[in-house]
Amino acid sequence: MGRLLSCGIVEDPLDALEERITKLRAQVREAKAAGDHARVKLFRAQLADAERAWNAALEEAPAPPPSPPLLPLREQVHQALTLLGVPTPSRLIVSVNEAFFAGHLSSSQLTSLRRDEERSFRTTPYSRPYYLCAALTADLLAPARGLLAVSTWPLATRIVGPLSSRTDFLTAAIRIAEHIARLEAPGESAYRLLTRMAQNIPGAVDDFDQAVPARVIAAAEAELALHREADQTQRAEAAARATKQLDAVGQFFGAGLKSAARTA
Amino acid sequence: MSRLDTLRGPVPPHDHNARTIAALAANPGCNRRAVMDAAGIDKEKTARHLGHPATVGQSVFAIIRANAFEEQVKANGCAQLLKLLREKLDLSLPEVSYDDVNNVGDDRGLRHSRTRTLLRQAAEDRGGGTLFDHPVLKLNIAGKSVYLEPALIAFQLKGRFHVVEIKSFAVIDGQADPGQVAAAARQSAVYVHALRELFAERNLDPALVSHDVILVCPENFANTPTATLVDVRQQLTVLKRQLSRLTRIDTILDELPMGLTFDLMHDQDGTPTRSRDELLKAISEVDARYAPECLASCEMAFFCRDEARACGSTDALGRTVRDQLGGLESVATVLGLAHGTLLAAPDQAEIASQLRLVRQFRLEATA
Repeated sequence: MGRLLSCGIVEDPLDALEERITKLRAQVREAKAAGDHARVKLFRAQLADAERAWNAALEEAPAPPPSPPLLPLREQVHQALTLLGVPTPSRLIVSVNEAFFAGHLSSSQLTSLRRDEERSFRTTPYSRPYYLCAALTADLLAPARGLLAVSTWPLATRIVGPLSSRTDFLTAAIRIAEHIARLEAPGESAYRLLTRMAQNIPGAVDDFDQAVPARVIAAAEAELALHREADQTQRAEAAARATKQLDAVGQFFGAGLKSAARTA
Repeated sequence: MSRLDTLRGPVPPHDHNARTIAALAANPGCNRRAVMDAAGIDKEKTARHLGHPATVGQSVFAIIRANAFEEQVKANGCAQLLKLLREKLDLSLPEVSYDDVNNVGDDRGLRHSRTRTLLRQAAEDRGGGTLFDHPVLKLNIAGKSVYLEPALIAFQLKGRFHVVEIKSFAVIDGQADPGQVAAAARQSAVYVHALRELFAERNLDPALVSHDVILVCPENFANTPTATLVDVRQQLTVLKRQLSRLTRIDTILDELPMGLTFDLMHDQDGTPTRSRDELLKAISEVDARYAPECLASCEMAFFCRDEARACGSTDALGRTVRDQLGGLESVATVLGLAHGTLLAAPDQAEIASQLRLVRQFRLEATA
């Protein structure tokens, strides 16, 4: 119904113009036959105008966008990050969005997101319920490259130490497996994503078989147990340091290493 | 060094990178390349001015493909790479630490000092630090520092550091293109050398850096990576010899006429104004050793090939043929000896009789 309606609106001016063009042509012919040069000239001019308008309308007529995303970009990213619960590289966010949600994200859209959020936070702090912010490196408290996090997470979660890229990867795999187990009819792409991740976790999947969520969870938990303690100690230490040293903007978007780099 | 400056003319020297340094090792016998590289001359412009523009360089598609593969292997804290290292090289499970040097920003000097700090930390208290992404190393080439960015990571396995090189050419059935592997090995040798220099500078044992490089390539026709250890000891030796030649470039320079210059005499718009003949004469003062392999790695290759062909040098036929011809230097001599129109000198007697025999066979076969 909506589609029909939109088609009607789009083609309406073109239809009217075409009708008018046909009518004007007939009038030009009539006037010519009657030998009325003034009227021929007038109708011709009108015809030319109508044709020009027709051309313009044709250019304007937009191709209907392929079912526009229902949520704005940052909401979609937030959705994916909430599912994963750990600082995540943009590529994985895109994959998760594709596997479970609308699937209208691309990595290039995410590049300026963090900067926009930072600007928004600086101008009117805490005016939004959450901000998409940076993950901070444990040693320098500088923003980690390519990782996105959510400002409502505890600081220790938003800090990445040397072991965190692995623990976060394993945690993400567990969260994805849990989500698949929750869903009634998970899609093909969801399983593909899980299988791809499971292939890099020892004992999670055999060769090219499809991953089984329960097994992935068990395997990832087993490896996670090896790293968890050391990782959490590092993160907690850095978080304590960050709370002491950084202001609110710094805690969300990282210490001013960028300006130091620029002057260096 | 003033002689090198005279050679180059009043333009800033051209920077080296791992590729150009590796190319030095590919043809160590070439004085022309040694001199031009030591002086930091823009070989590409010189070749173009001489009327032999180079077509060497990487295809855009190859670069995109290489970057995509590298990104895939390194995604999610090097998840794929970790799996490979665990399976093929018995990396223990707790060794998963990952540091991205890029976190300090794009500045190469800053990234280099960060790399140094991280590597020192890892070397001093064993166990800390396994993977280092986007490291920047520094190497001194003929008195100038050159920044090198190993495609990947120096990584610690059983207490030794390994350079990991990610390449996008396929290993099919356990076999890869030998030319590509050789090029990768030469390039990695540069990184190993730079890494060892860095360790020596910091009073750490250079032997901590393994001479085995981990080469990661796609396996068969899929996109799944596989890892192989490549021993680069031989490439390292060649590289070291070549680098020491660069620092002892004076011996080559001493044989060149005083005041020799390859300056293109750029005008204000950067257009070369030097007469071609004059430049040609100057370049010819320095001997080149052309081999067909040069075409893949040296900007001057087309010029040198033309020169080698013009004087009928057997070098232009490739190393295998040249070696089989037993040290005969020109094609005319070879043909003359085969036809018997030239009298063989005592040291040429053996090769001359062989050539005559081969000619006999050929005549019989084509009769």
